[in-house]
Amino acid sequence: MSREHLGERLSALIDGELGPAEHESALIHLAKCEPCRFEADMMRRLKRRLNGLCEPEPDMDFLGRLTSLSRDAGAAGPPPSDPPIAGFGSGPPLGSSPLLGGLPDGRPSSVPADGGSAPLRPEHVSRPDRRRLGGNRLAHLFPPLPGGRYAVAGLAVATTLIGGAFAAGGEAEEPPVVRPRLSDYAVEHAVTSRHMPVVDARPTATDPPHGPNETTR
Amino acid sequence: MSTGGHSSAHSAPVGLLILAVLCVLLVTTAVRPDASAVAADGPDDGMPVLRRAATAESEVAYSAVRQMTGPEGRTLRVRVINSPGDGVSLSPVGAEETTLMVRSSPALESLDDRLLRMLQDTYAVAEAGTAELAGRRTRVVEAARADGTVAGRFWVDTDTDLLLGRTVYEADGEPAFSVRLTGLLLGETSWPEDEEGDVPWGDDLDGTERARLREEGWPLQEHLAWNLRLVDARSTEHAGHRVVHAIYSDGLSQVSVFTQRGKLDTEHSPALRNGYAGTGTGGSSVTTQHDTIFGGDTGQYQSMWQADGFVFTVLADAPAGLASSAVTALPEPGGAGFWARVQRGLARLGIL
Repeated sequence: MSREHLGERLSALIDGELGPAEHESALIHLAKCEPCRFEADMMRRLKRRLNGLCEPEPDMDFLGRLTSLSRDAGAAGPPPSDPPIAGFGSGPPLGSSPLLGGLPDGRPSSVPADGGSAPLRPEHVSRPDRRRLGGNRLAHLFPPLPGGRYAVAGLAVATTLIGGAFAAGGEAEEPPVVRPRLSDYAVEHAVTSRHMPVVDARPTATDPPHGPNETTR
Repeated sequence: MSTGGHSSAHSAPVGLLILAVLCVLLVTTAVRPDASAVAADGPDDGMPVLRRAATAESEVAYSAVRQMTGPEGRTLRVRVINSPGDGVSLSPVGAEETTLMVRSSPALESLDDRLLRMLQDTYAVAEAGTAELAGRRTRVVEAARADGTVAGRFWVDTDTDLLLGRTVYEADGEPAFSVRLTGLLLGETSWPEDEEGDVPWGDDLDGTERARLREEGWPLQEHLAWNLRLVDARSTEHAGHRVVHAIYSDGLSQVSVFTQRGKLDTEHSPALRNGYAGTGTGGSSVTTQHDTIFGGDTGQYQSMWQADGFVFTVLADAPAGLASSAVTALPEPGGAGFWARVQRGLARLGIL
């Protein structure tokens, strides 16, 4: 093994994919073989450089044209399946950007095109788009308040609290209709106070007859 | 111009002084709104006299006419027959067929003890000399408020220790109601053997049961006012539904609060009878409103209303002011609106 160059195993060595025994023998070979050692050094540098590359930022030109597309689409309201409007197509094609892929009809896609182009991150374009569509349209309805967010949060908390209290304050069941037996109450009060009651203690027409299941003292 | 500056320089300290005085007034009035709304201290040397009078009721047999006079001067005369060990019989003079027989019971003796303790806790009870009442010599005992005004006065027979008279006074000094025993005849009287008699409702509610009822939503307060404390609570069942009788007292007067789950039917609607609901013959009207009490011509008041899924009925032998404070301390009528439901929900969530 020491006479043969590492070949494809060199890449596996750099990636740390060799087993312990093969790793040890590869290191022994590298110590004795100048060409393999040079090749390994070059491969490590290349991988470090590749790893050091950042994710590419979207082209500012593309973002600007995409934003204008969204604004026009929100105002005019064409369906998403409609072809792109003429103003957008008058600029350079999306595919001209070296970092972005695109569909053949020119519409942006989050799916990377062939060739390993970096994927388009949808949040980078959708967030400012939403703000512009909703916020700009409703901004003139509300005066600028310094504590607006807190007011909205307080309103939400109060609404939740009142709603919860309303739900909790409901009666589990409708209370029954009762006819308080005032004559019985008068007798009970008279017994405990030992005073003759003013309210007539005799049963009246409004007092229902005593049922068999009731208990009166 | 210099005069104006001089004036403004003086006005600032004056303004601060006025503000400070207002603050002091606000604090002092908030801390002590009424000088009489506190328990009165004193030696309470009149309590032994009243305790002997309570004991005499269970030892001395007598018959007499009890004369009850209300604030408007109307008098109700009741024939009283007291038979120790049996009970007391009450029948209106001229209408003896409507006799109320109250049987002796440990519950009533215990209630008497608690009423006397409440009297001692609330007022300064002191002997105030002797006087003659209905031809008999009596010892006078006064219950005074913290401001020195007399809230109640007792006349106790020196020979028998029987309570011959009692008067309860309003805060302004006017008599609210008074009771006198006239035509006293000592000795055994005939007690109908076949008469069973009435006793308080049997289900005595102790502290544990009261707490359990409160957890179930029953409005069973321990105090209705600073001087109206719960002295007894018991319950019974009417048509399968529990009715709670809570007795509040300051030692002189007695307020009964009857509570049961439910609501009044349309017959008790405020739209009928100009807002009043009849209570049957012989009694004053009962209202579904909250802050109005009726009766009073003999010192007895009634009120009925519904609130929070309960129907409240208050019967009071008390001065009008005390009866009103008891009624207004209870839940207000209503409970069907949006905000009433929200308020009830906040209370259930423990926020209120």
